Amino acid sequence: MAEATSPDLAVPALCILGDFTIFAAADLKPKIIEAINQGETDEVVIDLADVSEIDSAGLQLMVMAMREGAAQSKNVRFTRHSEPVLNLIDLFGLSGFFGTPALAGSTH
Amino acid sequence: MAKTIMIVDDSASLRQVVGIALKGAGYDVVEACDGKDALGKLDGRKLHLIISDVNMPNMDGISFVKAAKQLPAYKFTPVIMLTTEAGDAMKQQGQAAGAKAWVVKPFQPAQMLAAVSKLVLP
Amino acid sequence: MNLDDALNTFVIESRELLESMEEALLRVEQSPHDEDLINAIFRAAHTIKGSAGLFGLDHVVAFTHNAENVLDSVRSGELEIDGDLVALFLQVCDHMGSLVANVAEGKEFGEDIRQRSDELTAQLKGQMTAHQSAGAAGAPAEASSSAASSEHVAVPAGGGEGGAAHAETDNWHISMRFGKDVLKNGMDPASFIRYLTTFGRIVNIVTLLDEIPRAAEMDPEDCYLGFEISYRTDADKAAIESAFEFVQDDARIRIVPPHSKIGDYLDLIREMPETEMRLGEILVRCGTLTENELDAALLAQQAADASSEAHQPLGTVLVAEQMVSPTVVQAALQKQKQVKETKGGDASMIRVNADKLDEHINLIGELIIASASIDLTALKSGNPELLEAASVMKRLVENVRDSALQLRMVQIGATFNKFQRVVRDVSREIGKDIRLEISGAETELDKTVVEKIGDPLTHLVRNSMDHGIEPVDVRLARGKPPHGTLRLNAYHDSGAIAIEVIDDGGGLNKERILAKALERGLVKPEQMLSDDEIHKLIFEPGFSTAEQINNLSGRGVGMDVVRRNIRDLRGSIDIDTEEGVGTTMRIRLPLTLAIIDGFLVGVGGSSFVVPLEMVVECVELSQEEIDAAHGRQHLNLRGEVLPFIRLKELFDIADAPPPAIDADADSPFGLQLESGRDDLPPVDEELAFLLQPVRRENVVVVNYAGHRAGLVVDTLQGEYQTVIRPLGAVFSGIEGISGFTILGTGQVALILDVPGLVRRVASKESRVNARAASYVMRE
Repeated sequence: MAEATSPDLAVPALCILGDFTIFAAADLKPKIIEAINQGETDEVVIDLADVSEIDSAGLQLMVMAMREGAAQSKNVRFTRHSEPVLNLIDLFGLSGFFGTPALAGSTH
Repeated sequence: MAKTIMIVDDSASLRQVVGIALKGAGYDVVEACDGKDALGKLDGRKLHLIISDVNMPNMDGISFVKAAKQLPAYKFTPVIMLTTEAGDAMKQQGQAAGAKAWVVKPFQPAQMLAAVSKLVLP
Repeated sequence: MNLDDALNTFVIESRELLESMEEALLRVEQSPHDEDLINAIFRAAHTIKGSAGLFGLDHVVAFTHNAENVLDSVRSGELEIDGDLVALFLQVCDHMGSLVANVAEGKEFGEDIRQRSDELTAQLKGQMTAHQSAGAAGAPAEASSSAASSEHVAVPAGGGEGGAAHAETDNWHISMRFGKDVLKNGMDPASFIRYLTTFGRIVNIVTLLDEIPRAAEMDPEDCYLGFEISYRTDADKAAIESAFEFVQDDARIRIVPPHSKIGDYLDLIREMPETEMRLGEILVRCGTLTENELDAALLAQQAADASSEAHQPLGTVLVAEQMVSPTVVQAALQKQKQVKETKGGDASMIRVNADKLDEHINLIGELIIASASIDLTALKSGNPELLEAASVMKRLVENVRDSALQLRMVQIGATFNKFQRVVRDVSREIGKDIRLEISGAETELDKTVVEKIGDPLTHLVRNSMDHGIEPVDVRLARGKPPHGTLRLNAYHDSGAIAIEVIDDGGGLNKERILAKALERGLVKPEQMLSDDEIHKLIFEPGFSTAEQINNLSGRGVGMDVVRRNIRDLRGSIDIDTEEGVGTTMRIRLPLTLAIIDGFLVGVGGSSFVVPLEMVVECVELSQEEIDAAHGRQHLNLRGEVLPFIRLKELFDIADAPPPAIDADADSPFGLQLESGRDDLPPVDEELAFLLQPVRRENVVVVNYAGHRAGLVVDTLQGEYQTVIRPLGAVFSGIEGISGFTILGTGQVALILDVPGLVRRVASKESRVNARAASYVMRE
């Protein structure tokens, strides 16, 4: 899991800024799909460092992105998860699914 | 960053007490005295929750919520409506307008705080 | 801001709400189908109840609750508004007022108050049962619908055979499937799960992502999530259930307590959309069930399936539910369209504590004095730049004063409206049909004046109803409509506000008044009185023409108190009346009590302020005129007779040394007479006359309520804005003085009570007090 926390030098195909919630979901879905479609390498990196808020809608999009990448035989990878993102993944018990570090004090 | 809650009620004392409780719990609070006032304050600022009375002068809570839900910035903002137990028909109208959470008046500050926590934690 | 402040706000707003409730109640009788009025009445009760609950004022909540219930029936059209209901609610309104007053005083509710609450509650409940017996048929349907909506209650105990064994786990199991609209409704499943962590611990969670479709089909605003949670808490089931109260219609939530029977988990597995095997595995992953327990459950499931198709009916129930909800939504939308938006004024108001406002006004008062001081100093110094700056500041200070006073101005309408109730109650009491008309409700006056005018006005209104408006038979005989009309009117009139109480009654009976006054020794038989003077006798202490002592006149407040109250407000009252036609009582009051524009005059070494709004003009008396007027106390002003008072004589002021041309700069008003200096700037025209040697007497002509009088003074010192300070108790008896003020120089100036002085010269009685013969004024 070290890759999530160590400096990631890969150039992100998409940086998600601010709200990664239901308010932004309709806008972000096509952008995510486009980033995956246009990714020329096998790896599509989505940067989450500047996500200030995330909810279930945002998380669903992350799942969708990973599945869409798999369908196109591309590896969709999220990097630099902001704290709200890590908190939600932890709350939902999805650290294993997303390959993020379990937070200290986590119940899992 | 503190979560911001708007409280809309024509009773200033109710706003004050709820405001004290919410601020004490770590929320930021925006007050409005009726639907019209509240609508004027929906200026794009981020709101994590709206608490609104139903029966108010100038613009009632149902009309306000309906109008708020037309605005992109507040389309999905959760709304707690304050109602009386005698308000079943009102509840249906509110549901249709987009208010799914209801708290029955009168309530204690702690009850309001619990209801708010179900939707947004500070 | 603390809770005490909030409680204070509660008291203030409750009073306002009760006022509007009363007003609406009085109007709703005429238009029983006016939704806005009914809504206003309902809202008052509703809001007070809601706020009272926050302060834990249970007694207020309980009482208001019953009132609200009845009002709700009115609002929904189940109950008709009629005179009796209005009467009951007026009592309820009054009682709520006493409850609030009790709260304001911080007292416990006493036995008498509780008793009154019980009485009224019983009456309110009587109204409810009367209409409920008619509408009882609706109740069962309601009960069944609420049972349907509590779908999230825990799985019922029971289940198939073999499910009777208990699971070992100490944890609750919570199973959630969210409807696709929850996110759009602002409900984030994550927030409910977070809320669970505030009173318990999530031992294990499995998030079900299976329902998230492929990208092409996915609606990013729909929710596709489900959760299985193993949860440890000391809270009870109700507490856990309540976490999901806001999504109960939008999600399927199953809560299974610790150590439940295996059969309960089986029901859970059956109900959830996932295949039995998959969900069973999830429960094991969650740690809720062990492998063995799961095996036992699945065995039981197969046995149950063989005998009956247990989950089939459940499926149909769900489908049925989905069929229902669109129509419910449809109906709700229909109703939504009918919701009327009440129009109203702009709501951007700030509530300010009256004390703060008073302090503000006081400070502005000080500012005015300070500004006057600077003005005088500037004038004295003769520095043109300073003069310029001082005049700019003076102007600004005046603007500040005006806007500050404006803050205190309130419309008289609210006060007038209170009389709807008075007139209604009193006319019932005395058996006369009297209607109240209100005009000029938007006329503004100072808040303190408004507060103090209520009592005198009440008395005048009652007096008119009681003594003015005739019984029906008399009215009909006089060819008048059977119902009497009382009108309250207000308007602004040259720096004052006039408030009129007008009735179309019998008018004042001169003979009867005079007879009574003679009988009471208020006048002497030989006195010649004008009509106006006779009418005003009713304001004399000890005067009463009431031929029958009834409930109202028995209240002990006489018209003399009314006049005194009004005079205390620097106001006056006069009467227009015509026998058989009606009477108008006209109160004149200053717009504000705090600050006046004055005209400063000098008499000997003393200074006096005359309220500027009463000054008509200033004239000079030539030596001949002085001689001609000598001993007459009235003079000829352009052909008119003008009575005058020499202030010097009235107040026994010694002659000051005649002002010299080269007056010392330190003299009280060093500005006036320094024409000898040639370094002085040009003096403004108003003051130009001051440069002439004072050889003549000056007369300030004042006008009050139609009467004119002249005040003879030594010097005229110009306009002067001033703050009125009340005289101490020691001086309160002095006639002709209404207050004092401090001049810019630090000197004290007395404020003349012009109404008092005018009365003095206008009244025959003053002959006794005055040193010389008085003059009787007639309009």
